[in-house]
Amino acid sequence: MDNVINTVGIIIYATLLYTPPLLFAAMGSCFSEVSGVVNIGIEGMMTIGAFTGATVAHFTGNPWLGFICGGLAGMAFGLLHGVATVQFGADQTISGTAINFLAPGVAIVTAKAIFNSSDTIPLEPTSKIPTLFSDVFTSGTAWSNFMKNIFSTYASTYLVFVVLILVWFVFYKTRFGLRMRACGEHPLACQSLGIDVQRTRMICVCISGFMAGLGGACMTMATTNQFRPTSIVGQGFIAIAAVIFGKFRPQGAMLGCLLFGMCSGLRVVIGTSSLNISAQLISMIPYVVTVIVLILFVGKSHVPAANGKPFVKAK
Amino acid sequence: MKKLIALLLAVVMCLSLVACGASNDTAANDAANNDAATTDEAAGEATGETVKIGMVTDVGGVNDKSFNQTSWEGLQALAAEDPTFEVSYLESKTDADYASNIESFIDEDYDLIICVGYMLADATRAAAEANPDQKFAIIDDNSCEDLPNVACLMFAQAEASYLVGVVAGMATETNTVGYVQGMVSESMNQFGVGFISGVLAANPEATVLQFNANSFGDPTGGSAATTDMITKGADVVFHAAGGTGNGVIEACAANKVYAIGVDADQSPLAPEYVLTSAMKRVDTAAQDISKAVKDGTFTAGTHMYDMTNGGVDIAPTQDLLTEEMIAAVEEAKAGILDGSIVVPTTAEEVPEFTLDDAE
Amino acid sequence: MSKLEKILQSAFFRTLLSILIGFAVGAIFLLAVNISPVEAYEKLFTSIFSSPKSLSYCVVYATPLIILGLSVAFSFRTGVFNIGAEGQFVVGSMAACVVGILVPAPPVILPILCIAAAAIAGALWGVIVGFLKVKWGINEVLSMIMFNWIAFYLSNYIADIPLIKSDGNAEATKNVQEAAMILLPKSWIEGLGLCNSASWGIFIAAALAVMVYIIIEKTSLGYRLKAVGFNRDAAEYGGINANRSIMTALAISGAMSGIAGATNLLGIGQRIAIFSAQESYGFQGIIAALIGANNPLGVFVGGLFYGAIKYGGSRLNLIGAPSEVVNVIMGTVIFFIAVSHVFKFRLKKEKGGKK
Repeated sequence: MDNVINTVGIIIYATLLYTPPLLFAAMGSCFSEVSGVVNIGIEGMMTIGAFTGATVAHFTGNPWLGFICGGLAGMAFGLLHGVATVQFGADQTISGTAINFLAPGVAIVTAKAIFNSSDTIPLEPTSKIPTLFSDVFTSGTAWSNFMKNIFSTYASTYLVFVVLILVWFVFYKTRFGLRMRACGEHPLACQSLGIDVQRTRMICVCISGFMAGLGGACMTMATTNQFRPTSIVGQGFIAIAAVIFGKFRPQGAMLGCLLFGMCSGLRVVIGTSSLNISAQLISMIPYVVTVIVLILFVGKSHVPAANGKPFVKAK
Repeated sequence: MKKLIALLLAVVMCLSLVACGASNDTAANDAANNDAATTDEAAGEATGETVKIGMVTDVGGVNDKSFNQTSWEGLQALAAEDPTFEVSYLESKTDADYASNIESFIDEDYDLIICVGYMLADATRAAAEANPDQKFAIIDDNSCEDLPNVACLMFAQAEASYLVGVVAGMATETNTVGYVQGMVSESMNQFGVGFISGVLAANPEATVLQFNANSFGDPTGGSAATTDMITKGADVVFHAAGGTGNGVIEACAANKVYAIGVDADQSPLAPEYVLTSAMKRVDTAAQDISKAVKDGTFTAGTHMYDMTNGGVDIAPTQDLLTEEMIAAVEEAKAGILDGSIVVPTTAEEVPEFTLDDAE
Repeated sequence: MSKLEKILQSAFFRTLLSILIGFAVGAIFLLAVNISPVEAYEKLFTSIFSSPKSLSYCVVYATPLIILGLSVAFSFRTGVFNIGAEGQFVVGSMAACVVGILVPAPPVILPILCIAAAAIAGALWGVIVGFLKVKWGINEVLSMIMFNWIAFYLSNYIADIPLIKSDGNAEATKNVQEAAMILLPKSWIEGLGLCNSASWGIFIAAALAVMVYIIIEKTSLGYRLKAVGFNRDAAEYGGINANRSIMTALAISGAMSGIAGATNLLGIGQRIAIFSAQESYGFQGIIAALIGANNPLGVFVGGLFYGAIKYGGSRLNLIGAPSEVVNVIMGTVIFFIAVSHVFKFRLKKEKGGKK
């Protein structure tokens, strides 16, 4: 019985560890996609956020300042993407791909300029995002271990779910949310109703960069304590996949991220057990399960109608 | 048309600005280079002879937190203390880059080419056979020891991990320790085999929980696996997993248990929780062979770096170790040196090591 | 319209301009790390042009990028975004590798078998995604991202099978048989002073470029594929089976990515290492396609350019400059290619004003 409790506890713990960077980025992606701008540059925006967060926190010693700056750095590249795609009507895939090359390049070259290495200096424990309730739960019995593993987690993990509720509210309970979704479906109709489509999309792309930056910063300021060129490897694309999985809804994206995180946790649990399965096959689990769940339960996903199409103001 | 001209002008101005900036910058640049201990021809020419050392990384890249990084830091330190050395590196992004990187150094007349890692063995052999006058060194491989121009730098990493194993065996209060390995390979397995032998030597009651992360770049997985081990009772966790190990150390710090680092002295990553580290002095080896080239004492064949010549060792930071642990480590060291302790190196010799079975 | 203006408005000129801007931005970052851009770019270009050997290396580096670029360009033209080229490349290489190690066949035949196996494997990887899309409506971008990773671990798994795995202590497959390699004849290599990895790959790339051009521009198949890409509903109304077209497009695109993997393996790699990280050839192929504006000839030239920059750029480390600057340059180039049609737009307006 204790074993079962332990195993479940670890899977939940691993899920909560993998999820925050993905979910921040996925919520960002939701904003952008729903307003009608494909943002494949999430990966790059996460990388620059990861770097900036760790760097600012290192120099100021203030984790939350670093975290916000990570978001702002992502936002800067979001702005770039917005200017290219919304302002100038550039191809959204091309611009996003460009950002995926540009942002990591900028991050690493800047790291070399500042630290004379592509890694940042490891953060002091006080400049990291703190863990909450680490003293409330003590290890001991199986149940107390379980509670400790689940609740003594980084503040960013709690934050991401608070932000999710906020984002859900903005999406479905505010006028801005309604307009934003309308811009992704029928931009022309929006314009005729007097909504500034360009402006709405621009705001959404910037929010998307900001959130992706926060996601990146989670990775370097909570899960680990420094930026390395391999800090962000593919999480951005997994986040995009989670959004498509969740049918472009933030709550759906959350399910996608949790599923992916849970499978990664499962991978760890199987890996530490004495089961004799090839590590390569175990590593495939998250990806295979995602496809299978899609086939069995999710199926066709509705892409916002005007997604990917530049909007030129009718005159 | 006007706007186009303006645009062109802007580009031209940009370029010329850059060019001006460049020429102004050269002086400052040279000064900076002296500190940074990168290539510095001027200094070398002043003393007459420069010795050019080129290093080719494997796909881990130069900041892999493992042997590539340690070798490069060794070379940089060497160039800083002796300006006759000119050192540089080329990173391999894929398996196909090794040959072209080695050739670049040959074309630029480097005196010694250091190939980091057993993955470069084939490329090194081919290049060494084609260029018999070029000196090579390869780290962690001895398949080229028959060639007259290749020095094979081998490490007894099992001995270092044996020592930290002894420390772990004594430090654990729950008789449970953890071990996270980055990937299963003969060279990596030596870490695990040595570690487990050390733990069991110091504490026959202990069990060693093991995890193959199957990645050097998944700190989240490292962290989750470590928390799993801690939940199962482990209170000391050793990693030989490059970047994945960052997550191991992080999880140990979060749960206030001890971690043991690898390759370099990893104490700075979490000074209160990194108990010790298994050091593999790839840096010393790279420096030794470079100096040998300069002094004309380069010899081909296998150069074994083990406890006897300080090629592998326990980290110098010992703030967290108790008197008894230090004594036990010294005793184990003496035993290894006089041959009374023979540290196993292969998975077959240590049945407790389970990672290799999973293919 | 004057001749000058025609040149200025051509895609070629805009690409050139983007490349200039890319280098200018790169220079700013070089200055930030205290490296003289003049020195760095000099190193970059001398590394590329210093000898027939270095030039041939650039071609060798460019070959897989060109073929992947063609694969991606083909998919773009038919309305799918083949972000899965990475995975198709990986399974293609692995298929070629397995055949190259295990099948006893004479020279000439063996490389053909390897490349055919790679094409089939790549096509299969593309078709699976297409099947998921038409059968269950699963978004292709999503499943491609998943299949890239599945291919990655599958390749590692196969490389670890005792029959395939290297006998030495390298974490890689055995070398494929010499007979499987597609290297140029030794006498040519020595006569021209080329690099040892100079292979027939570039000719395969050229042939594929011609093939893509013909399929897209000259055949009814190409017409159908383009029609579905342009407007699925209209194409279906016009009697084209859209589902079949999507599968066909992905199969062709996937087959090309697979061939890219095979030429890389049979030309330069000779074995496949157990990966520790994705090599991201797929994304580099996307870059080649974008520089070439999805036009076969353009992709060929764009791939050569990228290959050369990739080869020369990695040599920047020799003078202490960060080779990642290449990513900044390429990112900027792509970015400005994306927005460059704005320049054209402005010009046109201006012309209107003059009237």
